[in-house]
Amino acid sequence: MRQYITRRLLQMIPVLIGVSIVIFFILQLAPGDALTGKMDPKITPERKQELRHQMGLDQPVYKQYFRWAGGVLQGDFGESTNFKQPVGKVMNTYIWNTFIISLLSLILGVLISIPIGVVSATKQYSKFDGFFTVFALVGISMPSFFFGMLLIKVFAVDLLILPVSGMTTAGSTLTGISYGLDVAKHMLLPLIVLTLGSVAGLMRYTRSSMLEVIRQDYIRTARAKGLKEKVVIYKHALRNGLIPVITILGFWLPALFSGAFITESIFLWPGIGPIEIAAVAGRDYPLLMGINILFAVLTLIGNLIADVTYAVVDPRIRLK
Amino acid sequence: MKRKIAGFLSLAMSMTLLFSGCGQSGLGGASKDLKASEVLAAANPEKLPQTAANRKDTLIIGFTAPEGKFNPIYSSSVDDSYVVNLVFEGLLTNDVQGNPIGKVAKKWDISEDNKTYTFHLNKGIKFSNGEELTAKDVEFTYTALCDPKYDGSRTDAVDKLVGYAEYNKGDAKTVTGIKVIDDYTISFTLTEVKAPALSSDFGYGIMNKTYYAFEKGNIEKLKESFLKPMGCGPYLFKEYKAGQEADFEKNPNYWDGVAKIDKVILKVTTSQTNIQGLSAGEVDMDRIGAAPENIQMLQSAGFIEMQLYPDNGYGYIGLNLKDEKLKDKKVRQALTYGLNRKGFIDARYKGYAEICNAPVSQVSWAYTDDINKYEFNPEKANQLLEEAGWLKKDDGFRYKDGKKFEIHWMTYQGSKYVEMLIPIVKENWKAIGIDVIPELMEFNTLCTKVYDEQKFEMYNMSWSLSIDPDPSGIFSKKQTELGGYNPGGWVNEQGEKLMADALKTTDQKERKKLYQEWLKIFSDDVPYVLLDQSKNMWAVSSRVKGISFSPYIDFTYQIAKAELVEPKAK
Repeated sequence: MRQYITRRLLQMIPVLIGVSIVIFFILQLAPGDALTGKMDPKITPERKQELRHQMGLDQPVYKQYFRWAGGVLQGDFGESTNFKQPVGKVMNTYIWNTFIISLLSLILGVLISIPIGVVSATKQYSKFDGFFTVFALVGISMPSFFFGMLLIKVFAVDLLILPVSGMTTAGSTLTGISYGLDVAKHMLLPLIVLTLGSVAGLMRYTRSSMLEVIRQDYIRTARAKGLKEKVVIYKHALRNGLIPVITILGFWLPALFSGAFITESIFLWPGIGPIEIAAVAGRDYPLLMGINILFAVLTLIGNLIADVTYAVVDPRIRLK
Repeated sequence: MKRKIAGFLSLAMSMTLLFSGCGQSGLGGASKDLKASEVLAAANPEKLPQTAANRKDTLIIGFTAPEGKFNPIYSSSVDDSYVVNLVFEGLLTNDVQGNPIGKVAKKWDISEDNKTYTFHLNKGIKFSNGEELTAKDVEFTYTALCDPKYDGSRTDAVDKLVGYAEYNKGDAKTVTGIKVIDDYTISFTLTEVKAPALSSDFGYGIMNKTYYAFEKGNIEKLKESFLKPMGCGPYLFKEYKAGQEADFEKNPNYWDGVAKIDKVILKVTTSQTNIQGLSAGEVDMDRIGAAPENIQMLQSAGFIEMQLYPDNGYGYIGLNLKDEKLKDKKVRQALTYGLNRKGFIDARYKGYAEICNAPVSQVSWAYTDDINKYEFNPEKANQLLEEAGWLKKDDGFRYKDGKKFEIHWMTYQGSKYVEMLIPIVKENWKAIGIDVIPELMEFNTLCTKVYDEQKFEMYNMSWSLSIDPDPSGIFSKKQTELGGYNPGGWVNEQGEKLMADALKTTDQKERKKLYQEWLKIFSDDVPYVLLDQSKNMWAVSSRVKGISFSPYIDFTYQIAKAELVEPKAK
């Protein structure tokens, strides 16, 4: 197993190099650069050229790539053209806010959706199943923009029990537990919006995967042996039914950091989503590269984790 | 999605929104159009929410998207400039009319040849680290702008200084054009006369030399202190929570009258929920889109006053004069006559905007009413097109030499403004026999096609202007090159001369005359189909007294004198 993991980690290196080349060149295909959108007659065309030269934007793309890659090897991801700050610093400022809310939403999502999915599968076509099928449909189709606004209207404007937006109360100097409570209060609404979206999908996924397993011969055999229904479902069926779900969860790792643009911007949660969009609009290549490389690394690690957990839950799979 | 739209719009308007000082000490008299500002008073000032009433010593102001570049020579968004203006002060500032008035400098002299500016500083101004502000700090600030590694957008403030090139490109240790005469006197010498210099170059906040100390070429050091701004302004910077808020406390040693409000917080808000934030009392002041539905929502809260004032900018359709069809002046005039601009403005702004007839703000001293208004007149448009040789055929469209009159219009996605403009333009111009084909694209792509490649027939955008009305940055011949701001290639020899002459004198009356003549030429030549001049609105809670917005004055100008009160019923 250790050998397998080491090998996979080593394989990541050429993959990442390839990914970085592809992303770098695709970004360059978009028209314009960091200075195109800055339409300020106070910055003359000559000054723009000077700035392009300073940022190295006037060089051929391959040279720019090597310059960037050379920096990365020394741990320097360059300076964000929007923020005039090192890329790592900018990402570090925003990404953990995204991470914490996404992680909580994921945990909450798993805790809610897997049990519901399993029960729905065992009681297929029951009222319980029907209710949650409708719920899932509503959850998937409800635009998070609309749902978010609705929650703000009800809880923050009409009932005045939760804040409209932000992550902490303005000007608060709280620390410790009261700080945590303040953040929790601000997080509640965006968390609900984020979780609703993930619960619906994950629940349906668990349900269908369980249904498939329940129809298998070995489940019938287990029942025929006279095992209790509980043991049949929760010991034999569940373990097999969850394998595909685990794969999905592995892919979730990059999503934890990628930010939910709409939810974050409605609730003004200071996450990475809006920063990313601004970077695209402003052609902030160093920042975009930094973010995309991070996602590439997380995706690869997510895959690896999924494969390893696969082997753990399913002894038939042997990793070599 | 909406947020993205706001982003694009602000990009479209990202021009010279920032600071800018003044007109000129000659004074051209107050502009009458400042009257266009109006205040909708709060109906029930006492209906203040408990949250706001409990916050006795703290004022919370909404802003949109701070980037954390809290430095006078680097801030590039309006939001960052609010932070900078609370903490720093410049040599000059401006009054309601946009005329320069002294701040750190108590007075200034201009040499006979109009090239040397000498500033006499107020004595006893202390930075919040206790040091006194002297001419050395002013020298330091402006030398930093000349730094070879400087990559911000304020270079235009120094690139005409004597010795700029030697310092920026060469080995010079100092910029010879900046001379410290004594602790309280400093002079700046330019290589050529620059009429807008006072209004545009001498308002940047002064940085303390020992606090910001950096050696030539080591600008990184300045960037490291973005989040620790320290100046001599009315407020001390306390803390910045990225993407959330910036906190300030009053400067107990402020030289120009200590502020009355103890704490100020700038809190990030979004146009999607800023009215809710105001109504709930979470925020005391915020900028809200001037639209009837927003005003109605704010009025129903009762305790919110609304201050409206004309925007210092305009929206336009740019035409490519190198295009075979559009190079004929009559055609361009016909396009303006044939467009129901009033109809568009009424649909888009419902009364909170005016038709733009001149590419300067109505609030500027250079504005004149005495120009062709191009009232909507399809007959006149048809007549002009006939004269230009474009004749209608049976399909209702005009043809010349067998070619149909088609205009490809490049515009940007995701904007309500554009969404409402497209059908009106299409329909109006179809009525005069012109087929308009809109092409929507992402904003940066549009900029590339229009400015960097100049491959377009027609596009639309908007400009935000600085206080000085000099139009040469947008319309001079020099700007017609690739990457310049005159991509349509409009060059009028006489207009060119007028713009150049107006830059060579610092006499405002003389400049006013020249610009008004220039406006007539512009209006007759129609390089742009000018569209609208909209209004800005700030909503202010009844507990805030002493802040009144106008085109050249934002809250940072008045914050030191503002107060928080317990509002009483009327």
